[in-house]
Amino acid sequence: MTVPILKQGHILIASIQAALTDRDLIDLKDELTTSVGRFRSRGVIIDVSALDVMDSFAARTLRSVAEATRLRGARTVIVGIQPDVAFSMVQLGLGLGEISTALDLEGGLEMLAAFGLEGGGADER
Amino acid sequence: MPEILARSDAHIRQVLDYDVERRRRFVNLQPIDLEHIAELKEDVLKHLDEHVEAFFSYLDALPEAGGLFPGSDMRAEAIRLKRDHLTAMVGGEYGKDYVEQRVTLGIVYSRAGLDARMFLGGFHALLRSLGARIMEQAEEPMPAFDRLTSLSKVLFFDLAIIVDVLIADRESTIALQQEAIRELSTPALQIRDRLLIMPIIGVLDTHRARQLTEGLLRAIRDNRAKVVVMDVTGVATVDTKVANHLLQTIAASRLMGAEVIITGLSAEVAQSLVTLGVDLTKLNAVGDLQGGLEQAERLLGYQLVRLAPPVERASA
Amino acid sequence: MSDEICLRVERDADVVAARQKGRELAALAGITGSDLTVVATAISEIARNIIVYAKRGQIVLRIAQNGHRRGVVVIATDQGPGIADIDLAMRDGFSTGKSLGLGLPGARRLMDEFEIVSEAGHGVTVTMTKWSR
Repeated sequence: MTVPILKQGHILIASIQAALTDRDLIDLKDELTTSVGRFRSRGVIIDVSALDVMDSFAARTLRSVAEATRLRGARTVIVGIQPDVAFSMVQLGLGLGEISTALDLEGGLEMLAAFGLEGGGADER
Repeated sequence: MPEILARSDAHIRQVLDYDVERRRRFVNLQPIDLEHIAELKEDVLKHLDEHVEAFFSYLDALPEAGGLFPGSDMRAEAIRLKRDHLTAMVGGEYGKDYVEQRVTLGIVYSRAGLDARMFLGGFHALLRSLGARIMEQAEEPMPAFDRLTSLSKVLFFDLAIIVDVLIADRESTIALQQEAIRELSTPALQIRDRLLIMPIIGVLDTHRARQLTEGLLRAIRDNRAKVVVMDVTGVATVDTKVANHLLQTIAASRLMGAEVIITGLSAEVAQSLVTLGVDLTKLNAVGDLQGGLEQAERLLGYQLVRLAPPVERASA
Repeated sequence: MSDEICLRVERDADVVAARQKGRELAALAGITGSDLTVVATAISEIARNIIVYAKRGQIVLRIAQNGHRRGVVVIATDQGPGIADIDLAMRDGFSTGKSLGLGLPGARRLMDEFEIVSEAGHGVTVTMTKWSR
């Protein structure tokens, strides 16, 4: 199952679906890393609102996405962690390290704007 | 009505702990709280019907509460008692007589078939009604919130008594009583856009701390909050488990994009946290609520600006 | 739905299936709120462990009763290489980020009861339980 990735100006937005396998997560990582390079994106928003569980593998993968895209000059924000998922994550002892988080897509865009990035209109390329 | 009260309520009064001092200590009722309540009195009395209505609407909507207070007489009586209750609640006198009146009220509810769970729900609806009105009328959120916190203490004081009665009447055990009080979740109040306040009152145990966390995280989502001011003035002591829960709550809130500011940390609680090995620097703790709110507002980009000098009232 | 479900764990998609079924059964056992996600997360960790370390195994989900309380029991077994040093495996490496990827200490934190039996060369059996509150 592929994760849809939207381009909004200099920002890439990926919306994760609920039934994401490990393979899907890795594919997403590769796709985002490539796209950031190709489009010279400066921001990445990964929306996990539909994710039922954030386990250690998912967290690790998201951390490496953030790291890989950072190396290509983009800032990542994870948005949409649900209350139950946030609760389970801290019980598990799982963190997202230095990755920024926001409540939802709007919050993520606000955050990136505060970092000096603009979302802009529709896809230009 | 008098005959109902006379029927075997002697055993309830026997079993109940009337220790007023202990009950006041449980909610940490202080002289300053009495002052705050006096300031609130007029407003609460002005909206008495509205608040009473919130309580009964909640019960009416419960399928299992259908048939409670059958007949308009009993209902009218219950409403009258509730009005009296609320009036006394802002009256400022919380001694033996006050406790006895609450016991009487509890007996009425119990005989009407209200159980602890239903009552807690209605009570919660009442608290929300009071809270919403008080915060709405407020010019400055902070003093209004202080007053609300003080009033909440009396509400919890009442709650404990009435739940005691409901349970004593059903000859349940102390364990059930603890459970019922724990089940009441503390409401998170939105006082400004993106800003939540969560007052925590009474004894915190693992179970309640967990419910608190769940409630807060949901409130962050529902209100799109970016900052939460968690006021622990009403918490007397904290143990390791609860301290950990607090830290977890802060971490989980951050994952949802919200910052937590802790206010009202008493020297005693701060000390026990340090003793428990909690790194206080990891906590964003501000001494008092005012400071906490100011910091919250700064974080959100608000700034209080006086546009004109205060108006001097000319003499007639 | 019966009181016991047996699931094969071998492919990626099985991890997702296991945690979804786990969530459903937990709900039937009267588990509510965030605990449902907690159970699903623990199952996800354990299921992935099976695939990573033993290539294949199985997970049995069962509803248990203890007095007036009900709960969900998860029994994960595999016939993989097993764990030689259980204490080491259960040591918490998460905070340092250098964990071997073992979801065991994490799953233990999430569940109410947790038991692990293993011997080098003889696979692993993890039994964990979450009770309704």
